[in-house]
Amino acid sequence: MPLLEMKHITKAFSGVYANEDVTLSVEKGEIHALLGENGAGKTTLMNILFGIYQSDGGEIFYKGESVRFKSPADAISHGIGMVHQHFSLVNRMTVLDNIILGSGGKKEVLDRKQASEEICSLAEKYGLFVKPDELVGSLSVGEQQRVEILKALYRKADLLILDEPTGVLTPQETENFFHVLRRLKDEGHGIIIITHRLSEIMAISERVTILRDGKSVKNLVTLNTTPEELSAYMIGRPLSPKTEDRKKTSKEAALSLEGVSLSKKRAGKMALDHICLTVYKGEILGIAGVEGNGQKELAEVITGIRKHTEGNISFDGSAIDSRSVRERFHKGISYISDDRHMDSLVVDMTVTENMILRTYNRLPFSKKWILDYKKAENRALEAIEEYGIRTSGKSGTRTPVKLMSGGNQQKVILSREISKEARLIVASQPTRGLDIGATEFVHQTLIRQKNQGKSVLLISADLDEILTLSDRIAVMFEGRIMGILNREEADVFKIGLYMGGVTEEGGRP
Amino acid sequence: MNHMKKWKAIEVTEIAFLSIAMAAILILLSGADPLTAGRMFFNGIFGNASGFGEVFVKATPLILTGLGCSVAFRTGFFNIGAEGQFYIGALASAWVALNATGVPGVFRIILAIGCGFLFGGLWALIAAILKAKLGISEIICTIMLNYISMNLLGIAVRTFLMDPAGSIPQSEKIDASVTLLRFLKPTRVHTGIFIALGAVFFVWFLMEKTTSGYEFKAVGFNKRAAACSGISVVKNIILSAVLSGGLAGIAGAVEVLGVQKKLLEGISGGCGYTAILITLLAFNHPGGVLLVSVLFAALEVGANSMQRQMGVPSAIVDFLIGFIVLLILGRELLTGKMRAKEGK
Ligand SMILES: Nc1ncnc2c1ncn2[C@@H]1O[C@H](COP(=O)(O)OP(=O)(O)OP(=O)(O)O)[C@@H](O)[C@H]1O
Ligand SMILES: [Mg+2]
Repeated sequence: MPLLEMKHITKAFSGVYANEDVTLSVEKGEIHALLGENGAGKTTLMNILFGIYQSDGGEIFYKGESVRFKSPADAISHGIGMVHQHFSLVNRMTVLDNIILGSGGKKEVLDRKQASEEICSLAEKYGLFVKPDELVGSLSVGEQQRVEILKALYRKADLLILDEPTGVLTPQETENFFHVLRRLKDEGHGIIIITHRLSEIMAISERVTILRDGKSVKNLVTLNTTPEELSAYMIGRPLSPKTEDRKKTSKEAALSLEGVSLSKKRAGKMALDHICLTVYKGEILGIAGVEGNGQKELAEVITGIRKHTEGNISFDGSAIDSRSVRERFHKGISYISDDRHMDSLVVDMTVTENMILRTYNRLPFSKKWILDYKKAENRALEAIEEYGIRTSGKSGTRTPVKLMSGGNQQKVILSREISKEARLIVASQPTRGLDIGATEFVHQTLIRQKNQGKSVLLISADLDEILTLSDRIAVMFEGRIMGILNREEADVFKIGLYMGGVTEEGGRP
Repeated sequence: MNHMKKWKAIEVTEIAFLSIAMAAILILLSGADPLTAGRMFFNGIFGNASGFGEVFVKATPLILTGLGCSVAFRTGFFNIGAEGQFYIGALASAWVALNATGVPGVFRIILAIGCGFLFGGLWALIAAILKAKLGISEIICTIMLNYISMNLLGIAVRTFLMDPAGSIPQSEKIDASVTLLRFLKPTRVHTGIFIALGAVFFVWFLMEKTTSGYEFKAVGFNKRAAACSGISVVKNIILSAVLSGGLAGIAGAVEVLGVQKKLLEGISGGCGYTAILITLLAFNHPGGVLLVSVLFAALEVGANSMQRQMGVPSAIVDFLIGFIVLLILGRELLTGKMRAKEGK
């Protein structure tokens, strides 16, 4: 008897099917992968299972029993845990409080000490290291991920739903994370994992269910399939990546940082420690490093969101130290943040409104004070066309961004920031959450930008992405640049050393 | 979309039904016959021209203060201070109307209303700066400022603005040439209603059609994303607060120049607080503010008539308003949740 069976699940949003006759089954002790393009309906299916949405039709059997969860609390009490695509943590509470928040328990009084010990031992057991007393808001995205996983484990889930858990992890972290999953599997847990990386599916899963346009098109045993077959089922035709030729980078600097520092209030440590860096025209400069080592601060100092406390930044030959975010944007510095919900989107506003978030005060979108929504709408339509953005149902460009799938939200940002006017694109995790087709498209787009003589500062936790795209690779550790490698001399081993703070000579600096 | 309309329709009839039932119970409790009371209620509103006109007289300050609140709420500035800004606006305009004798008729009216806007706006600016620069809660600040302004007005009508000929704390009568024209005599309807309607259009246009309204919205929904995109959060909070206070200030000026024709204590009738409810029920939409304001005003006029004719306490209306607000907001929360579930 399978642990979970979902049969003929159907769900429509204002008349448009997000799930149509979807069937999925998961055994005890199985890791089951769910694969599909952006907007295929993966998250919706999991939200139905977890009680966030009610299906329009179909049945769910859990441990042989017909169930229909009315709320996440209901699902949790049956032993289902879910880590969402976008985390649901309370920033102003500690890690500990977030984990025990709402976990109920029978006891009247919360035994925080015991809870803390329990969490630490869980963390120890699975290698999910976090400090229980730290505020969640001060954690990096990767660390927050670990908190989410701990939260589910703490509630003793038999079935774990993981919606794109690896998107935010480094290869090393992913490796550790897979160890965690295997251990959970060996203990008899069922796991549903959503990921866009085929290599991960091949490495970790027993079976794969593929969704396309809301329908479950294929169920495969991982051992008997290949990544090519998976992607063919997923997009309905074989993927034919065409690679752009790379042009040489010019000798002319686009952006240069001289001794740029940013002091952090906490513990007297520097968030950025005398960074010297030049990005040339026509270059993609990759920034590798474990998340939380100053990459975010670097991006924010360059884009003007934070003011550096020391050093000089110049762009295109002129100093921009005292320029505002907007002035820098109009000089050509655009920014794709790794935290799309916080930094880059106003999710309550529509696709159109988000599309002009940077340029609403300029022609053609406004004249003097008056907005021209018609022009903005056309811009949005162009972007939808070019990036293949799936809006929800009939609302089209009027869809509030929060109703769109994660990957499609990301595409809204990409199409806005990679504009004709952009001359330096600071791209942090630009392909996080994108399906393989879209990832390929973004990679080609970035290379095309480079070939047109524009520059890209690519910050990514995905080392493969860095290695395939970058002309040079700088590695960050504790707010410093440990070293810069040329495309030809870069290898995973060397970068790994730098990422751990080890320099060429072998010693820690 | 269709479903949503259905939801709304059900809500409206349900809520109307529940409120009428509640009103009937209250009237019974106060020892009157609900049917006759109901007749008196509608008689008060539709029975004669002056009653009907009174609805618009009462709606005018509600519309203006309601719009004020809606502008501030857009950027997430929770302005509880419309009451105080109303007072300051009334005070400033009364002073101008009484003292700027060098300025002839219409120009003095314009100047007085302009000063109402200016000082109401400045009054809100205090709280806005404290919030934007120091992070002090605007809710607390504006409430405190309400008390201060109430007492400022109290001091004014006892000292420098007190009618030298009288003994009660109020100003002398404003010259007829500087009051707003009553163009529908015998009703008290005055040209202030056009100012209110103009403001409705202005706020709608600002919110929906201008870059400023767009910025307000972005800041209200996500300050961080707004800042990351180059929109100044501080500037927009301050701007929306000043505009909000200014609109409440105009309400005060219009009440002075159009209805009371002098400055006196308690001149707002609490409309600065009612405005908050109006905005909430209108979901910040200017057209909604207009509608709800007229509705609230009609309730008040009807209830006053009930009280005059039958001695049924008009406080029933305040009770009812509270009840309706709870019903609608509670309902909204509930259906909001249900809709999220169904994804509709
Ligand atoms: N609450 C909602 N209201 C309206 N439409 C919705 C809602 N939730 C999801 N959708 C739509 O349903 C479709 C499927 O979305 P879903 O989030 O399940 O995709 P996904 O497979 O998880 O994609 P991704 O890989 O990008 O995360 C999308 O087109 C989305 O716009
Ligand atoms: Mg998803």
